[in-house]
Formats: sequence, C-alpha cells, structure tokens
Amino acid sequence: MHYIWKEWKENIRGKGLWLALSIIVLISVSILFRSTALSFDKGYYVLLINLFDTIIYFIPILCLFIGAFSIFQEKEQKTLIMLLTKKDSYASFLLRKSLGLYAVVLIPILVWFFLYLLLLKFNFQLDMKAYFIFILAIVTLSLVFLQIGAAIGSFSSSRMQIIGYTIFVWFYFFFLHDFILLSFLPDVTHENVKLFSSLYFLNPLQSVRMFLETGMGVYSFGHMSRLLQAFMWTKPAFFLLFNLVFWLIASIITASVFHRKEGFE
Amino acid sequence: MKKLLLFLFVFSITVCINPEKNNAAENLQAMIDSLEEGAVLKLEDKTYEGNIVINKELTLIGKANTVIKGDGTGNVISIKAPNVTLRKLTVTNSGMDRNSPEEYAGIKIHTNGNVVEHIKITDSFHGIYLSQAHDNKISYVEIKGMGKGEIAAQGNGIHVYYANHNLLSNNTIEGTRDGMFFEYGNNNESYENNISGTRYGLHYMYSDENIFKNNTFTMNTGGAAVMNSNRLLLEDNHFIVNYGNQSFGLLLLQANDNQIKNNTFYMNQRGIYIDQATRNTIEGNKISQNQIGIELWASSNEQVFTENLITENTIPAVTIGGTGETNFWSHEGKGNDWGNSFPLTDLNQNGIGDFPITYRSSLYQLIEDQELSYLFLKSPALAIYEKMNSVLMDEKIMFNDPHPLAAAKSKNHFLLIAVIGLAAVLILIKACYRKYYC
Repeated sequence: MHYIWKEWKENIRGKGLWLALSIIVLISVSILFRSTALSFDKGYYVLLINLFDTIIYFIPILCLFIGAFSIFQEKEQKTLIMLLTKKDSYASFLLRKSLGLYAVVLIPILVWFFLYLLLLKFNFQLDMKAYFIFILAIVTLSLVFLQIGAAIGSFSSSRMQIIGYTIFVWFYFFFLHDFILLSFLPDVTHENVKLFSSLYFLNPLQSVRMFLETGMGVYSFGHMSRLLQAFMWTKPAFFLLFNLVFWLIASIITASVFHRKEGFE
Repeated sequence: MKKLLLFLFVFSITVCINPEKNNAAENLQAMIDSLEEGAVLKLEDKTYEGNIVINKELTLIGKANTVIKGDGTGNVISIKAPNVTLRKLTVTNSGMDRNSPEEYAGIKIHTNGNVVEHIKITDSFHGIYLSQAHDNKISYVEIKGMGKGEIAAQGNGIHVYYANHNLLSNNTIEGTRDGMFFEYGNNNESYENNISGTRYGLHYMYSDENIFKNNTFTMNTGGAAVMNSNRLLLEDNHFIVNYGNQSFGLLLLQANDNQIKNNTFYMNQRGIYIDQATRNTIEGNKISQNQIGIELWASSNEQVFTENLITENTIPAVTIGGTGETNFWSHEGKGNDWGNSFPLTDLNQNGIGDFPITYRSSLYQLIEDQELSYLFLKSPALAIYEKMNSVLMDEKIMFNDPHPLAAAKSKNHFLLIAVIGLAAVLILIKACYRKYYC
C-alpha cells in the first residue's frame, strides 16, 4: 500500500502520466466524433474497433516509458539503495513497485473509460459485455508493456539507454515480430502450424486484437479450414492469458537477473 | 325417475368429455375455417395454438402481444390461398426437424398476392418461406435466429424459392443462416432491410434481374453472396464489418453483367471478392478501411471499375491466380479515386490525374498459397514486408488505372491525431532530455 501511495504522489507531480492520459482522452473523444454518423445499434462495435486500432499505437509506447522511467527514477534518487538495504530482495521490490505502477496507471484509465461509457450512451446502443472485453483488452496490453518497461528501467544505466531500448521493443512488437513470421509464412504446413501459432500469439498486440474481436462477436470465427483450425488450437482467451503470464514472468526474471543498482551520474 | 337421472348424468358426462365443441371460439383454426371469404379476423392479446392453415382469402390482424405458437412439428402458418394479409403477429416454434421431407418455416407462402407486415418470428427453421409464390409483399418483419455460428440446424430468414416479383422491404433479420436466400427467384426487389449476424446476409443462387437497394449488412460472415446470378442491381447498400476468416462485403461468383453502384464497403475483410465473374460494372462505390479493397481471382474478366473511392484499405486491390490486366479500371476517361496512398498531380485541374496509377505487389503469391496470410493483414509489418519483397520477388500488376480521379480536398482527422501523438511523444522525450542534462 505504501508503494502505491508513493507511486501516486510521484506520478501526480510528473508529466508522463498526465501526458499519457491526455493522449488517450484526446484519441477517444476524436474517434467518438468521427463515429457519430454510424448506426445506433452496430456503430458501437465499429467505434470500439476503430478506437482500439488507433489506441494500440500509443498505449504500448506510453506504458513502456512510464514503467521504465518510474523504475529508473528510484535509482536516480538513490531510494533504490535505501530500499534494498532493508533486507529486501530486488525481486520483491520489483513486484511491489510493479503493483504500484499498475494501480497508478490503470485507475485513471479505467476512470476515463467509465466516463467515456456515459458519452457513448447518448449515441449508441450499449453492450456491456463487449465494453468489458474492450476494457480487459486495454488493461492486459497496459500490464504487459508496463512490466516490460519496468524491466527496461531495471537494467538500463542511463536515460538514453531507456529511450533506445523502449523504441526497440516497440518496434520489435509492431514490425519485426510479424515481419519475421511473414518471412516464414510460406513454409507453414499442418505439421508445424501449432508452433507458428504459438509464435504468432506471443506478440501481445496480436493476442489482444484476436481476443477483442472474437469476444465482441465482430470476427466471424465459424467455418474454419483444417489448417486454420489447427492454428487456433485453443480459445483466444487462453492465448491472451498465456501471453500475459509469459511476458510478466519473462520481464520480472529479466529485471531481477540483469538489474543495476546505480546509474551513471 | 331413475332412468331420467341416469340419462341426465350420462348427458352431462358427454358434455364434459367434449369441451371443445362448446368452446369453438378459442380454436384459431376453427375460427379461420368458419370465416367467410374475404373476412377480417381480429385477434386478442394472447397466445393462440398453432399450427394453422389458411386456405381462403382473409385478413388476420393481431395486437402488440398476439402470439401464434406452433406445436413444433410443421409450419406455424401456411398460406394456401391468394390475397391473404397477416399483420401484427408474433410467430414462433416451427418444426426444426432436418429429416422431414419439407423444410418448415414460421410462415410458409404457397400463393400469390399476399401481404405480411409487422410480424416477429423466432424459434423457427426458416422465418418466411416463399415457395412458387409471386407478387407478395413482406415488410416490417423481425426475424431472429440462433446466431452466426449455426448453419445446419437452422434455415434462412427469408427464403425465396422459384418465386418472382416479390417485394421485401424494411425487414430486420439477425442470426439466421442466410438473411435472405433467393433460389431461382427472379425480378424480386429488396429495399431498406437490415441484416446482421448471418452466414451470408444476402444469397442469390440462379436468380436473375433482382434489385437490391438501401440495405445494410453488418457483422455477417459474408455480407452478400451473388452466385450464378446475372443482371442484378445492387445500389446504395452498406456492407459494414463483415469480418472474419474468409469474410467479404460482397462476393461475385460466376455472376455476370451485374451493376454494383454507390454502395459502401467499410471495415470488411474483403470489400469486394470476385471469382469467375464477367462483365460486372462497379461504379461510384466507397471502399474504405477494408483489409483488402477488391480481391480478384482467376477467370474474372472484363470487370469495369469506375468512379469508385478506394482508400485507406490495407491493400487496395489484389489479383490472385491471374493478372489484373484483363479488367478495366477506367471507363469513358474516368477511373477511381485511390486516396492518399498514391500521389497524384492534376495540373490542368480537370479532376483527373495526369498520370496512370499502376499498383504492383508480390503479395498475391503469398495470399494465394497460404490462407494464414489474412491474419497479418492488420499488421503494420505488412507494408515493410511488401517494400522489401519488391526488390526480391516477382511483382505483378494488380491494377492499372489510366485515368485516376484526383482526391477531393477533405479533412483527415486520423492524420491530425497522428501528428498530435507524435508531438506528444517528442515533448516527452524532450522532457527526459532536460532532466538528464540538469
């Protein structure tokens, strides 16, 4: 609890959180205005899909930066050394710090999207299940990239390194991952499609997108061919859960193993 | 005296054993049978037991909560006389048996000149089935099925079989197998219907010279499938978010000489999907934000694309298993507006670009060979992949528009958002820099 409060007080004075939140608010409102021409009953889904497709460009990079700089700030202010001298291991510090990050970043986002729901109410016929799935998708995406950001902050020794690593991670998940898979796509057969599928859904962006679109009923998932059936060997919700657990654990382990106590000053 | 009492007792038992004879007014079929030709029957706000057969000309008018419930073994309402009018009813519980010699429906029409209005149909195999029934009018009907995923266990919303010159307007169909299925049905007209959550919103098979205007298809596996049907007119319809594996806004399969005019294809997996189709005219449509705007497969020739707005699609057009040069992307000196993706000059300000637009791509091979390609169509990596492959692999012409239309100057909000986002990120980086150097 102390970590959450400490995190909140630090972020409320900083620029990162407000910048992130204002970007999200601006995007949401803009897409709402763009979508007023849509029909009352189905326009809701179109708006959520469009909102997700746009917001997906911003949430990863913003969460990476917030996570990374929040951890790095502990080093700069020498509070990390003080915390670790209390017989506190880095892993437990990281977990508590991460929980603080989650709370501080997600609560404003959830508050905003609750208010957004009130705005939506005047224009569209609401579907609470679809909206809940949308919120779940946003939260999952934020969690994954906050944790990866925390890992970057842990093993970086300067702010320039943080910026470099952050942009690289973003670039990897947006372009390189799918590009690599596209290169191997011609070689996919019935024998190796499961492996290919696992690699495909290792990308948080693809996992979250598939979960959102199938969960809202927008993506028609019937009448699959045998190859596609083998590709979708379990439900999108399980792919998403696997993705979340994998990246959280991988980030925490990376941060614990490679962390540095001090930055260069 | 004893004999008299015994007689009265037996008589009273007889009356109790056969209560229906004294309550004939409650039986809907009996009421219908007792009516004169051309009568009007007004029903109460309650549930009547079906199934009923209408074999004389009459008008049946219900109220807001009038329900005709079938016994689950056949057609709830069968119309076997012409000029019947049904109005303001809820019809439910037809037979769902797939082994029966007949496919059952909520309302089955065998005759001509009937009117069916303001009806709700649920829990039925087919909603309304027109069997060799001509000149009927179906309007303001709500039909609800089992949902998008169910194919074999349910029928179509409106099934038109060997039936011509019918008018279907202002109906809402959701979650049936196909929304409207036409089989050997010619010269039918469909206006202002709303179809969602079906396999194909509209399905034409061997049905020529039909008209389809101002309808909306959303969130179907396929918006409209036109197969083996010719000389149709599809105008002013909306095909929105028909999206999934193997989805499309409009499919033309062995469909020739059709006119597709002024429709909107928005956020479909494929806007228009054309396979073995010839001489169709695609004119004045808006095809935007689809994953593939137009997908042309082999043996599709002599299509004419003119005055369409094709913009913001992941891939504007792709030709698979053939070449895109046997179709015409301009007509009478006017081509299509391809949006911002293709830079264009219009020095003489006549609204037509000064140079042809030619789009080459090597993606066609990947899409043809590997169906999982569709899963990557929303990925930003696709553009990079295509750029890098342009120097490595065999590119082919997807389309060549000799007279592209210049874009009208319009506001682009998405660009504004991107600029603001970029500015925000730059400000963030600058803030970090400042803190670093302090």
